[in-house]
Amino acid sequence: MTGHARVSDPGTTWLVADAARLATSIRLRAVQMVAPQGFGYLGQALSSAEQVAAIFAAARPGVDRLVCSPGHYIIGPFAAAVELGLLDEAVLAAYGKNGSPIEAIGTERSPIVDYTCGSLGQGLSAAVGFALSDRMRGSDARTYAMVSDGEMEEGQVWEAALFAGHHRLSQLTVILDANNSQVDGPVDTITTLEPIAEKWAAFRWHVTDVDGHDIDAVRAAIAAAATEELPSVVVCRTSTVHGLDCLPRDSDGHFLTLTPELAASAVEELTARLEATHA
Amino acid sequence: MRDAPYPTRLKPYGTALLELARAREEILCLSGDLTRQCEIDLFQAEIPDRFIHGGMAEANMMSMAGALARCGHIPFVHTFGVFATRRPYDQIANAIAYPALPVRIIGFMPGVSTPGGPSHQAIDDVALMRALPNMTVLDVADAVEVTQVAAAIVDVPGPVYVRLKRGEIPVIFDDDHQLSLTMSDVLTHGSDVALFASGMMLATALAASRVLEDNDVSVSVVNVPVIKPLDTATVQKVVYDARIVITAENHSIIGGLGSAVAETIAEAGLGRPLRRVGLKDTFAEGSLTSSYLFDEFGLSTQQLIDTAWSALKKEGPAPSGPPAVADIGRYSPV
Repeated sequence: MTGHARVSDPGTTWLVADAARLATSIRLRAVQMVAPQGFGYLGQALSSAEQVAAIFAAARPGVDRLVCSPGHYIIGPFAAAVELGLLDEAVLAAYGKNGSPIEAIGTERSPIVDYTCGSLGQGLSAAVGFALSDRMRGSDARTYAMVSDGEMEEGQVWEAALFAGHHRLSQLTVILDANNSQVDGPVDTITTLEPIAEKWAAFRWHVTDVDGHDIDAVRAAIAAAATEELPSVVVCRTSTVHGLDCLPRDSDGHFLTLTPELAASAVEELTARLEATHA
Repeated sequence: MRDAPYPTRLKPYGTALLELARAREEILCLSGDLTRQCEIDLFQAEIPDRFIHGGMAEANMMSMAGALARCGHIPFVHTFGVFATRRPYDQIANAIAYPALPVRIIGFMPGVSTPGGPSHQAIDDVALMRALPNMTVLDVADAVEVTQVAAAIVDVPGPVYVRLKRGEIPVIFDDDHQLSLTMSDVLTHGSDVALFASGMMLATALAASRVLEDNDVSVSVVNVPVIKPLDTATVQKVVYDARIVITAENHSIIGGLGSAVAETIAEAGLGRPLRRVGLKDTFAEGSLTSSYLFDEFGLSTQQLIDTAWSALKKEGPAPSGPPAVADIGRYSPV
């Protein structure tokens, strides 16, 4: 393990050879992290796997920043970091254990990301602060901010969105996981967020709205954001049970339970998929 | 130390921050739509590149300030104390206090110094900020200390909350007085009463002690500009030498200076009777002037005298304090 290493630390390096394969590896590593406890934030990794893979494929090592606003999603960046050699594989066993710095919900000790917070709706403001500082200091670093659709229920997200739009913080890209999942059920049964894309556009953001499990679409949207003069948001339509066919249809994707048998099936399924793509 | 009525100085904080920022490139100035009111119009006019309008969005402003501090800036965040603490409490906890970042939160209009009613009165800001790990908490009101406060806190490793009176600030100390972040000031020495005061209540405490001394009650007046970390050594020493203890704060009696002193006395096993003068677990309605509120809600010189008199079980009526009169441009405690 590399302690507090962050993707933006100078000298950090990694290479994403195959982003689609990385997404599958993220799912596998996430299953391995959740399996010992039998429950955890696996659904967040399943819905965001392509987004995390696309961010690592786009971000410049040692320069660009990564914000994981919903701390519950930290499993995805951890999984990617293990796969890319940025974190030791022992992290998988330490995830969520007593006394471990690798907590299930992101903390200040969480490695890899520049910012994460378990109290939802705060990360976009941090990303705005990073982007503002980078512009003030003449750095061309880009800040990639993972944000979830449920966080749009927090007023602070819109305070931050207003600020970024007003200041035209073009060095900021939000990757919004629209997985329609929150603790009490599907987001759209709790509150109406739609039209999501129009809301961000109205706040003076550049918006693309894509299938969040289409890795090429996510990567293209992230690449296009780099040339915009406004802050950008990539709305990724996803599911918390995507990419793991062995999960029961009625699984609660917000907080998935993995029996040892189910975990074994999941590892088998994902390993077979990796071997198939490798061939 | 001067005598009341005190001369006043205008905008000592804003002037001092600007002077400090000229020498310190890391300093950023953030405003929550209260720029002139927080005396930072001076900063905005001279260093606009390092001035950031947060707008009426305190949650975003605090989280953003934390990120700016992570990038090496030293953000000074300005708004009224009530909006600086209650509204963005979770953001301060998670984005500033927990990572122990050097963000300086400057909350103006402490306690009932505002005619703005309960929505504008920071009566629990010290309690809220004191409860956060890593946070340093200051309450200064004298112009000599206010002038020094920005430079005194700029290099504190972690976050700092400062509550400051607006506008005309009384000059209580001589100009060679030094604001200390580690030592409280024992201003007078007495064996009957240990009187601890912070911020705007310092002038009141000094006025009350003078009347008490004239009536054969000796008082140790202690100025406590730093409420956290509290100079517990001085508190214990002064309390040990006194028969009763009084705290005076322009704040709720729950969670602020009075509570901090009470904890120290109890943990040291000193067992002196304690009276906390402050807002007695109430919101303060009905304001046009702060002097009315200070009188109405028990923050007056007379209240301190009466409190000492009764705690000491003195016979007869308590002596009367001086009438609170001050010429325009002068400051007298209520």
